[in-house]
Amino acid sequence: MSWDGIAPGLRSFVVWAMDVSSVPILVYFVLINSSLLLIILLAYLEFRAQQRRRATAVSWQGAGLAPGVSLLVPAYNEEAGIVMAVKSFLTLRYPRHEVVVVDDGSSDETFARLEAAFDLVQVPRELPHEIPVRATVLGIFVPRDGRTRLVVVRKENSGRSEAINVAINAASEPLVAMIDGDSILEPDGLLHVTRPFADDPTRMVATGGAIRPVNGSRVVSGRIVRVEMPQTWIPRIQLVEYLRAFLLGRTGWSRLGGLILISGAFGLFRRDVVVEVGGLDPGSIGEDFELVMRIHKRMRDQGRDYKVEFVPEPVSWTEVPVTAKVLRNQRRRWHRGLWETLWAYRGMLFRRKYGRVGWVALPYYWLFELIAPLLELFGILIVPLALVLGVVNVPFAILFLVLAYGYAVLVTLSAMVVDEWAFHKHDRWRAIWQTIAASVLENIGYRQATVWWRLEGWWSSLRGKKHVWGVMTRTGFDEGAP
Amino acid sequence: MSAPAGDPDVSPVRVLVADDDADIRDLVEFKLTQAGYAVEAVPDGISAWEAFAANPPQLAVLDVMMPGLSGIDVLRKIRESEFGTVPVLLLSAKSRDSDVDTGFAVGADDYVIKPFSPRELLHRVNGMLARAR
Amino acid sequence: MVGGALLIGATVAVLGGCLLLVVTVVVVRAARHSRTRRDQMLLSPLRAPLITVASGEDDDGSAAEQLTWATGVSRTVLDGNIVQLLTKIRGVPAEQLVRVLEVHGAVEAAVADLTHRSSVRRARAAQLLGLAQAGHTVPLLVEALRDESVEVRNSAAYALGLIGDAAAAGPVLAAIGLPDRGLPAATAAEALQSMGVGISEVLREGLGDENARTRMVAAHLSGQRSFTRGLPELRHLLDHDTDLTVRETCAAAIGRLGRGEDAAVLARHTLADEPLSLRRACVQALGELGDEGAVPTLAVLLDDPDPRLAELAASALIELGPEGSGALSGHEDDPAVRSARLMASLQKASA
Repeated sequence: MSWDGIAPGLRSFVVWAMDVSSVPILVYFVLINSSLLLIILLAYLEFRAQQRRRATAVSWQGAGLAPGVSLLVPAYNEEAGIVMAVKSFLTLRYPRHEVVVVDDGSSDETFARLEAAFDLVQVPRELPHEIPVRATVLGIFVPRDGRTRLVVVRKENSGRSEAINVAINAASEPLVAMIDGDSILEPDGLLHVTRPFADDPTRMVATGGAIRPVNGSRVVSGRIVRVEMPQTWIPRIQLVEYLRAFLLGRTGWSRLGGLILISGAFGLFRRDVVVEVGGLDPGSIGEDFELVMRIHKRMRDQGRDYKVEFVPEPVSWTEVPVTAKVLRNQRRRWHRGLWETLWAYRGMLFRRKYGRVGWVALPYYWLFELIAPLLELFGILIVPLALVLGVVNVPFAILFLVLAYGYAVLVTLSAMVVDEWAFHKHDRWRAIWQTIAASVLENIGYRQATVWWRLEGWWSSLRGKKHVWGVMTRTGFDEGAP
Repeated sequence: MSAPAGDPDVSPVRVLVADDDADIRDLVEFKLTQAGYAVEAVPDGISAWEAFAANPPQLAVLDVMMPGLSGIDVLRKIRESEFGTVPVLLLSAKSRDSDVDTGFAVGADDYVIKPFSPRELLHRVNGMLARAR
Repeated sequence: MVGGALLIGATVAVLGGCLLLVVTVVVVRAARHSRTRRDQMLLSPLRAPLITVASGEDDDGSAAEQLTWATGVSRTVLDGNIVQLLTKIRGVPAEQLVRVLEVHGAVEAAVADLTHRSSVRRARAAQLLGLAQAGHTVPLLVEALRDESVEVRNSAAYALGLIGDAAAAGPVLAAIGLPDRGLPAATAAEALQSMGVGISEVLREGLGDENARTRMVAAHLSGQRSFTRGLPELRHLLDHDTDLTVRETCAAAIGRLGRGEDAAVLARHTLADEPLSLRRACVQALGELGDEGAVPTLAVLLDDPDPRLAELAASALIELGPEGSGALSGHEDDPAVRSARLMASLQKASA
């Protein structure tokens, strides 16, 4: 079959495809970019207000109404860094907090190192079972000095979600935060992320704090002593993604008041509310995203006056994937979790009871987060094809591409401006150029790769659909939900 | 109100002061220098530890709230080092009960809460050095 | 063709926007650096006298006098620096610095700034007045508690806390519940903490406020400051309040303040039909109360299905001395009791 034979058929197909899709795609394009603009505007307004507050902030040392915090650390085979991490968590600046480590059946020296470093003794305590847990708890340990606020729970291996649920059961303070053993927390991070609870103790149920990539920064004794840019491009681009997501996305939504999906942020929750909704769902890949949705649903179902707030201060620093392979797995998992959670809570869409969550935030996530990669894929395939086949005016196509990706760069640069204005954590000038370069480079290959990976995640979830549904029915939506 | 009178042949008592706040660093350094101490002032935890390791002082005044290594982190390192018994005074912002507890647990000898009286700080330093001898 | 022109226009706009943002980032950073350098330059001749005064070494007042001679932008920057220092030092040096501010007219200017258009100016003015202990401005600061900007409200409360005039306690507490412009509970609590004993009556009234946050702050502070006058109201709220957080705060406060007869009201809320977090709070409060009247209730709880509740009860009994420990007999092998005993012995060993 010669090219001359295929080409005309392909050509008319592409022409037809473009005809049919051009208006919807254009509309989608306008919608998504306008909504991005709106979010940027809202984030800008919110930041101005926050800058005013920051400029006049009276230092709050957390006395008085600072609620106690339990830091929950699920640990699986983390012998290398667990002792350092726990030491640094214990010495965070906060009036009242404890660290609960759950050793999820590690096969390495994780527990042995903790035992030696903190002189642990076993307590013949039974764990409360407020959240039902399948795995067996093997033992509870505390430091012999009777004063260090650390609890280590050993259990059979059954995954991160169950480990966290065990930690919630073992926690004794009114607020809980879930952190990984390789996260680095800002020494004052707890003060920032608990402030909304102290200011509105009867209504706040969850807060989120920003996360930044730690790659490249200098870390000593579990503390960041010098913030630096990551050394390679993949983490640099992720830095830019994080700036966008936290400084613009979350903040803009926060101003809208409707929604904070804390997912991916540092989440701090009221323990009694988490218990009430049943803890983390071990069957869900969505993890804390799913938890937040469950909380929103529960609060609104009960007609409770509640608040969820986002604090853009960096609270936690984490290692982001450096290789494409690890990044790919992460993005597949995230998108799969997004899909499964959105699907599970589809009953909340467009119901008056669910307010801005159901009318604004969820539809936004469906349209612009879930489906976006699909549409982008279409664009990625069609446009080059159309160019090759001569269907489309070349300058026109190029201009359109420049516009589309230029817009993405615009959004990212807005996030950079906000970061420079409010936080300015990187003090080298070099960091600015690298960040700008990363925001441009993102659109040349990286973004397209994540489109593919996200779709992979979604597809693999759809294929394994039956298993997923079995768990989802437990959230209370009947098959016949409207 | 000056440093304990000593033998004129002996060099003045060395004190290390660490605080990222330039105002506090300068005024504590000035106060202690006027009182006859030889003060080395540094702006952060890492420099504090390096200065300590290079030339151990007879007393250290450390601010708790420093970026990077905090005063408590530095204190921990000091206590774990071979010069672990050097008296250390911690400076912290007000109402920080947990800081005080952690500080003493890690081995601080005394604690001054901001807003503080410079005169009182000097008294405490004098007292700590007298007890150490 | 229109589409093409639109496309070109949009692309140019977007690219122009990108360029503008890059320039903005660079300008913001450069401006910040140059401002810092400028401030340092202006302050450098005044640095030595400032440090002399701040460290309390200005016995003859000559350094302070030098500071009063500053004019223009130097004066403004210096005053800003002085305000910062006043949050860090106290005593005679602080008083000297306040006098410098007064000579500079900064205190008067701050009073005027309380009605400035910019919320940042209003907020900073309020903070200055508090740090300068300008007691005569309390009525103005009380008014600022109702400002439309939260930063001003916070600063006013902070200032009132520093001045410590108990007459401001009522307005501070009342400001928490203002619809749309409430005073954040944490700032209110900190301000009230530093006012004297005279606020106990205000707190008692606060316990009856219609806003849950206000009630909670009032309950919390009553417990912290040992204001026993509010006990009847605290008991009432524990029994009847609609907000669980308020009830738990009351339980904790009663535990700190209460007397023997309060064991009964706390015991009531350890019953199985109450929310678990409240039951635990009440058990802890019973332990803190330290009254032997609690022993029967606590003994019953040793058998509770919730292990934490049982352990809290066991710990409380251990702390209640011989009568409490007596109630543990028969339960010696319970995990809860064994844990409580172990924890108690660990804490004693390291004390």
